[in-house]
Amino acid sequence: MGAEKHLTALKDAVVRLDFEGAAKAAKEAMAAGVDANLAINEGLVPGMAAVGEKYEKGEYFLSELVVAAEVMKESLNVIMPYAKGGLGARGKVVIATVEGDMHDLGKNIVTSLLKANSFDVIDLGVSVPPQKIADAVREHKPDVVGMSALLSITMPKMGETIEALKRTGLRDSVKIIVGGAALVPEFALRIGADHKAANALEGVKKCIEWVSQKERRS
Amino acid sequence: MAEMTRRQRIMKASLKQKTDKLPFFHWWRHSQIGWAERECRNRGMGMNYERPSSVSSLKGVDVTEKQIYVNGQKIYRRIYETPVGSVYYDEMREPGTFQWHGDRSWTDVTPWQTERLIKGPDDYKVVKYLVEHTEYQPYYFPVEQAKDWLGEEGLVCEMHPHSPMQMLMIDWVGSEHGRFFIHYAKYRDVVEDLYQAISRSREPMYEIAAKSPIDVVLGGDNVDGVLVNPRLFEKYFMPEYEKMAKVLHAHGKLLAVHMDGRVGVLKDLIAKTPIDIIEGLHPPPVGDLPIGEALKAWPDKVIWMGFPGSIYVMGPEETKKHMLGVLREVIPGERLCVAMSTENIVSNENLLAMTSVLEKCDLPLTPKQIDKIEKSVRK
Repeated sequence: MGAEKHLTALKDAVVRLDFEGAAKAAKEAMAAGVDANLAINEGLVPGMAAVGEKYEKGEYFLSELVVAAEVMKESLNVIMPYAKGGLGARGKVVIATVEGDMHDLGKNIVTSLLKANSFDVIDLGVSVPPQKIADAVREHKPDVVGMSALLSITMPKMGETIEALKRTGLRDSVKIIVGGAALVPEFALRIGADHKAANALEGVKKCIEWVSQKERRS
Repeated sequence: MAEMTRRQRIMKASLKQKTDKLPFFHWWRHSQIGWAERECRNRGMGMNYERPSSVSSLKGVDVTEKQIYVNGQKIYRRIYETPVGSVYYDEMREPGTFQWHGDRSWTDVTPWQTERLIKGPDDYKVVKYLVEHTEYQPYYFPVEQAKDWLGEEGLVCEMHPHSPMQMLMIDWVGSEHGRFFIHYAKYRDVVEDLYQAISRSREPMYEIAAKSPIDVVLGGDNVDGVLVNPRLFEKYFMPEYEKMAKVLHAHGKLLAVHMDGRVGVLKDLIAKTPIDIIEGLHPPPVGDLPIGEALKAWPDKVIWMGFPGSIYVMGPEETKKHMLGVLREVIPGERLCVAMSTENIVSNENLLAMTSVLEKCDLPLTPKQIDKIEKSVRK
């Protein structure tokens, strides 16, 4: 089997949400000597992109996005040991659900989609205090900070985090994207975020746009 | 039209009958008791209670709770030991949990589960044992007491837990890390088996509620179309609503279901359900279906809308503006009640801002009347 067939098998397994098929396709690809980076970038990533397209068309829902990301992990578990020297990252994102909020589904979907798009993601988890996010920005020097909140009572923590970044002189070093069902764009503007994500896919597209602009400028 | 009591207004609107004014109320579980609440009630705001009509007991199961520390965080672990195995869940409780209304914390937050009852496929059979050994008995005192307290001030509703599949999605399996969806994809047989068991176990509870001295049974389902996609809604939610409605309608009760999320994608399916009241429907930006559009899409249903907390965060002026916008959509204002919040406590200033608009909503609403209200509340 040529590499092309293995890449198609990887992509199809993700699109079909086939856990066993994803692991099998990955094992067969590695056994056939397919380059690990190629398997990911030309097999799994297009698979996730196809799932994203189906989501945008209304054929797939959030449940399928979540499962597709998990199916992709089955393949990655097999492929990653073959990826010598690691995979080059497109950009770096620090992401968290803000203090007082334990909802992580949206954040986790964004994290999976960012990883599927070759981002290095530092996931700080849920209920993360503003200063901890600022400390992570100082330590990891990301391109983007992503904050999530589902509860209206925790939304103000996003603003407090931006204030913490300003106090520590880090605000201008990053783009800030916020998301969550309760958020309104006016609120995002008011607290000084750069963008309010309409949904996970749109948020990831915005991150790609930002790092691409940065690459072009540098 | 003669002036109606708050209870009459809510009930008549819920029965799709004409009312003198647009009914508006606060849920007791989110309501402060104090000067602003008193003033708003004096100006027409009703008060609604949720009370159970049954008590449940778990037979043949040892239930214990202990306090532990995980990563320095105080956690309460509840353990259920059964003849077929044991399960547990962990919970973080904010100060005041079980002391504020409805077992909430002082900030009106319910406990956070940090570990769910069902973690892997082996836990399903244990939870099925719990479900099959849960018994329901009628206990109407809480309903009778609240009705006596309220009189004509508002309505007492029977509160039911999440419907069977939502119980799994939200409570027992949970959506953290996409766990429910992954279980549903990997172990669909065991998920569906437990779903069926929960559905069977609920039947006596529906019967008890149907025979209770209440008018409205509220299924607290927290439906959000992003999580509950149309395929899941049609397969697992609609049949349960049909089962509930059949029992309740036979005894003259209304079925309300809490749908506080983005339900635009479920709009056509919701229209096909026998639900009488769509409760907690949030207009954008929290929801994705404007109230006016929802009323048109569901001509045989009544909406008890919830006001978005994310607008309250923007302050009283934004609150008034947003409510006026909703009023313009719903002219003439029939088949609608407004709940001050179905999410959290409302600040005194926002509660007064909402009341300043809603107290003037004589029905039928007209564009001219709303212009007049807008002028009167402008700062």
